Amino acid sequence: MRDCSLSLCCLFLFTANLAAEEKPFAHYLDHVKPLLTEKCIGCHGPVKQESGLRLDTGKFIKVGSDFNAVVNLKKPDESEILKRVTTTHAEERMPPEGEGERLKPGQIKILSDWIAAGMPAPDDEVALEDPRDHWAYQTIVRPDLPGGSGNPIDRFLTAKHQAADLTPYPRAEKSILLRRAYLDIIGLNPNPRELKDFLADESPDAYGQLIDKLLNDPRHGERWARHWMDVWRYSDWSGYKNALRGSQRHIWHWRDWIVESLNHDKGYDRMVVEMLAGDELAPGDPQTLRATGFLTRNFHNSNRNIWLDATVEHTAKAFLGMTVNCARCHDHKFDPIPQTDYYELRAIFEPYHVRTERLPGQPNLSTDGISRVYDQKPDEPTFVYIRGNEKEPDKENPVSPNVPDVIELPFSVTQIDLPPIAFFPALAEHIQQEDLDRAKSALKIAEQTYQKTFADIDENNIAAAIENIPSAPSLPENLTEGQIRAEYQVVSARLALSSLQARWKADHNKHNRTEQDDSSKWADLSKIAANNERQYNFAVARQELFEKRTAYEKTFTTKHKDAATRQSSIEKASKEWQAAVKKWEQTHTALNKTDHKYTSVGKEYPKQSTGRRLALARWITHPKNPLTARVAVNHIWLRHFGTPLVENVFDFGLRSSRPEHAELLDWLSAELMEHNWSMRHIHQLILTSDAWQRQSSSNDAELMSHNLSIDADNKLYWKANIQRLEAEIIRDNVMYVAGKLDLTQGGPDIDYVKGEEVLRRSLYFRHAYEKQMTMLTLFDAASPNECYRRSESILPQQALVLANSDLAIRMSIELAKQLDAQMVNDEEFLTFLFLHTLTRKPTHQETDACLKFLIAQEQRLSDTSQLTSFETEAVKKTVLPDDPKLRARANLAHVLMNHNDFITVR
Amino acid sequence: MTLPDFHHQTDATQWSRRGFMSSLGQGLGGLALASMLHQESLAQSIEQQVSHFAPKAKSVIWMFMIGGASHMESFDPKPALNEHAGKKITETPYGDVLKSPYLANERVVAFDPNNGFIRQEVYPLQVGFKKRGESGLEISDWWPHLSESADDLAVVRSMWTEDSNHGAQLQFHTGRHRVDGFFPTIGAWANYGLGSLNENLPQFVVMGQPVADCCGGMEAHRANYLGPQYDGVPLKIDPKNPLPYAKPNGGVYREEQAAQFELLHKLNRITADSHPDDEAIQARINAYELAFRMQTAVPEVVKFDGETKEMQEAYGLHQNETKTFGQQLLTARRLVERGVRFVQIYHGSNGGAGQWDAHANLKNGHAKLCKQVDQPIGTLIKDLKQRGLFEETVVVWATEFGRTPGSQKSTGRDHHPYGFSIWMAGGGLKGGVAHGATDELGFHAVENRHYVTDVHATVLHQLGLDPHKMAIPGRKRLEKEIGTPIHDIIA
Repeated sequence: MRDCSLSLCCLFLFTANLAAEEKPFAHYLDHVKPLLTEKCIGCHGPVKQESGLRLDTGKFIKVGSDFNAVVNLKKPDESEILKRVTTTHAEERMPPEGEGERLKPGQIKILSDWIAAGMPAPDDEVALEDPRDHWAYQTIVRPDLPGGSGNPIDRFLTAKHQAADLTPYPRAEKSILLRRAYLDIIGLNPNPRELKDFLADESPDAYGQLIDKLLNDPRHGERWARHWMDVWRYSDWSGYKNALRGSQRHIWHWRDWIVESLNHDKGYDRMVVEMLAGDELAPGDPQTLRATGFLTRNFHNSNRNIWLDATVEHTAKAFLGMTVNCARCHDHKFDPIPQTDYYELRAIFEPYHVRTERLPGQPNLSTDGISRVYDQKPDEPTFVYIRGNEKEPDKENPVSPNVPDVIELPFSVTQIDLPPIAFFPALAEHIQQEDLDRAKSALKIAEQTYQKTFADIDENNIAAAIENIPSAPSLPENLTEGQIRAEYQVVSARLALSSLQARWKADHNKHNRTEQDDSSKWADLSKIAANNERQYNFAVARQELFEKRTAYEKTFTTKHKDAATRQSSIEKASKEWQAAVKKWEQTHTALNKTDHKYTSVGKEYPKQSTGRRLALARWITHPKNPLTARVAVNHIWLRHFGTPLVENVFDFGLRSSRPEHAELLDWLSAELMEHNWSMRHIHQLILTSDAWQRQSSSNDAELMSHNLSIDADNKLYWKANIQRLEAEIIRDNVMYVAGKLDLTQGGPDIDYVKGEEVLRRSLYFRHAYEKQMTMLTLFDAASPNECYRRSESILPQQALVLANSDLAIRMSIELAKQLDAQMVNDEEFLTFLFLHTLTRKPTHQETDACLKFLIAQEQRLSDTSQLTSFETEAVKKTVLPDDPKLRARANLAHVLMNHNDFITVR
Repeated sequence: MTLPDFHHQTDATQWSRRGFMSSLGQGLGGLALASMLHQESLAQSIEQQVSHFAPKAKSVIWMFMIGGASHMESFDPKPALNEHAGKKITETPYGDVLKSPYLANERVVAFDPNNGFIRQEVYPLQVGFKKRGESGLEISDWWPHLSESADDLAVVRSMWTEDSNHGAQLQFHTGRHRVDGFFPTIGAWANYGLGSLNENLPQFVVMGQPVADCCGGMEAHRANYLGPQYDGVPLKIDPKNPLPYAKPNGGVYREEQAAQFELLHKLNRITADSHPDDEAIQARINAYELAFRMQTAVPEVVKFDGETKEMQEAYGLHQNETKTFGQQLLTARRLVERGVRFVQIYHGSNGGAGQWDAHANLKNGHAKLCKQVDQPIGTLIKDLKQRGLFEETVVVWATEFGRTPGSQKSTGRDHHPYGFSIWMAGGGLKGGVAHGATDELGFHAVENRHYVTDVHATVLHQLGLDPHKMAIPGRKRLEKEIGTPIHDIIA
């Protein structure tokens, strides 16, 4: 089943271990208890005891509610419980309207049969645990290490192996280990030289050094960024044509932030804080603001609720493994999360909105910019939607921002005063510089034109043109049209510049001024700014008047198609002229004003941020928060071993029973926190453990069957799991083994349709709803909407991608060519090919098959007249080699790219 | 040419400890591998789930008109509209429709200031109706070819849905409102529940331009949590390129590639033999075999050389307006003939709401669109009957909602989720019946009301599947998502 999908509102799981061991209780355990669990336990169980009634054991059912017995053994048909599930009165019906479907006749019979039979239930039936006692809600206490020596992970696992009588598989051979390490850590195959060096290095620390080297390789950040992009729901902007529907443009800055943060081993806690509240933590730092892409990604153009629902749901799932989303319409059925918790969490995000910040050198925000969050509406109320219906907000009882009560940690919100640069981003130096530079170059152009027209710049004339304000709309005399235009342009451009400078000075003073500063300075500066702006406005209006007047006059001399066109063109020009006159008069009158009102050079945003998101982030990353580190470690473990320690990676609630390796999980979680949340430290621990280095299969049939008979699912990690590579890594390696992968890091998202032409790593291609590379989706690429865990499907269409895509064919030729030049005989060629693609030499059997193939294929291709072509489009993107020998070798390279083991980690 | 020998025998018993569901070459997907293999009981239970009833049908051809076809101008004539044309609804004797509690069923994604309103001014029927066939089933004059098969149709006139905007397209296929998210579609459930009848073809095929991004996009034929192996596989009527990556670039020779596949098979076999506890590799070998067979089988399906000229013309392949849909329906017939389980065909997609979305100019628009589909559908039914496939194929004609009894922009009708029509035929269903009814204005479904998933339930029932028994542990489905079979139209 695919995990990468929109989740259902709520997941139901019948409690395990209900298999009837004793026949008398089979009906109860197999039918009654599952029914009660599904329909009733949410309100009458360990989480809540409405009317004091619990229905999670036979004994509780006999006890009844605070008011009455719910069963009547003497007159079973009159039992209250049966009445309540069969009644037609809506107010008495159980489960209540909106809390669950009513029971079907068959289900009622299950219940009544059981009561009629005298309610047989086992005496030793264990009541469901108090949700507060749930393992995942307990503060992490570092468990004692089991005895023995070596890597702590192995000490925990060895104890389990011994107890279960398992003999773990030995360490995998070096070539397998090398390939595994490269693919896990940097997502690229080791090349034959790297293999040779590693095999030759017999120093005891060769392996440790390899792991260090790879973890410090900048490609490690790219490899693991893609993992976290799954969990954090990375999506480039989506929408039809150019319309923005979801996420944000330029959100690739967030992707680059993830890559860089991992390469710098930024603490996981710090990453969480920056993603949720980078704008509150470091308001003036564009580098940090990139992280808030985690939130801007939730933008949705059609409905604010979709946007906020996604924010609440996925913040909780990604960082806390909490399915708070189940409490959107009603109290959570399994976890102690009342519906209000959902809305209190929403209230934390209620004020936030998105905007795009200008970057140096790029004033056009549609070309580039930093997409970021900010609190736009600090006072926006949050209401509980009754039964989740947005049409029915409970306006009487607005909720306050808060975190789920089940985690008992203080949550305190402090409003944050933002620095001027944060609420008035135009104060950024580059913006002032660039805008002034633009005004200056406009002036320069105007002056050049003026010079050409008048042969020289006459400062007196210009000064006069600025200062002599006519009392009525009129044009200068004795000047040609061109001269007037040139003069007006220079005047406007000069005033534009001076007005801009003055407004900038005033804005600087306004936003940087402290209370101690002399307010008279502000008065002066704003007055000057206002005056300059009025002058500028007038100059523009004067220019406009001149142009409209000229255009009007010209309509009389222009040739028109007919009289009607002429008439309408005159009328239009006349209207525009009149409008220009009006504007002239307005701006002219305004010149007499003396107020301080001017247009700011940039947009002003709220000066405070609520601090709610920062408080949430601090609460999430508090070392006493029992969920955060466990959830993070589980994600990391999953991606090294192929299976997680906690099966449902986004739900650590009551449906996730205490995992087999709870102590190990806790130990690693404590380790993560105590090492400044360094993920690299956890990687290192895992990668140097025996557990990670074990063989994935064994030739010892006896050992294999012994272990399988005890632990068929490898829950105790007695061997490594064979894993299929992710879509992106498959595509990357097709290019990489051919020596053609462009390893440039970072930058704007590349159009996904160019996936077979642009040879960059896959994480740099556009990845959004309806904008994904087919080649990747066929190999289970993440759904941009949600993917806490990848699928590993095996589909025929995948074979077609590797067999028929132009990319694979082209790269196989490149690979063959690369080796052909150096190699002479087929056998050496073959060996090198195997080393490149599978990181091992061929076996005798393989050599034999491949050599036969090369000979036969070369022969086949020597006389193409006997061969039939595929009926495909005339377009032959890649030119196949004519030389039958090279072509046969390219064919072989292509076969190896299709080999099961090329896309598999053993 | 010689095909590579894929049936090389090997002692597979040693490694297939628990056997593979995928031994037929049906892809084995996702966590299926990670977890199904580890949950034997689950895998078994799924296998046991199929065929809860004796199946009446083997395959489904599902045609979907994108944009919202008018029920009143197709299968649900309302003379009252002509009688009261131009009046406000409140001025007719049926003004109570505006007070109906059914209005509360409407759920919107986002307020659209232009569309999705109840239109007040009664708009007369834009086309005439006649009683057809022996049953006298009423069908509008825009469906002359289909009308010849009136006695084979089971029209349901009492459909309703929730979304008054085109997210209803998604809703029709998943049973869930657009805002609720994405869920497995009806085709995916059928694919999931049924075994394969043809090892060379995908079991759930999609044709035509899909629902647009606005309205659910590809999710209208995906399997969501069932896993990608149950997704609909989009097929183009292009023998040269019917599937993504269906064929290699033009320079590759068939024999060249066949030899590659043969070597690949050998090499993978060698690896499989030396890794007896690797369960995935056998599934991959099988998937590759299917891929190789699909390369030949799929283009063959969309090549009509073997069809007579008369047959091609009967489907309308010789006329511009009917060519595209005709090719798709002919392909659909060829697919079900070869054992494909579910063929979903979209008509009228235009990158937005869909061409059937007749806010204005309904008369010309619907006349044109009906012309595109009428002859191919009429021929499909006759063709299936003639080949003895009709009784084992459920044919469905559907659309996301109907259109308002009142006029919009004086020449069109707005979206209408409260009452609309679909029809089904073949596969053990009754013919010549009209089930359910809307009120006199065609406003609300009032008699035998059916939410969209009742169509799903009917289809699955005819295929012998009980959706309740196909439940996925951990994935609770709402009753509403499952629906109830429409027993009145089952023969």
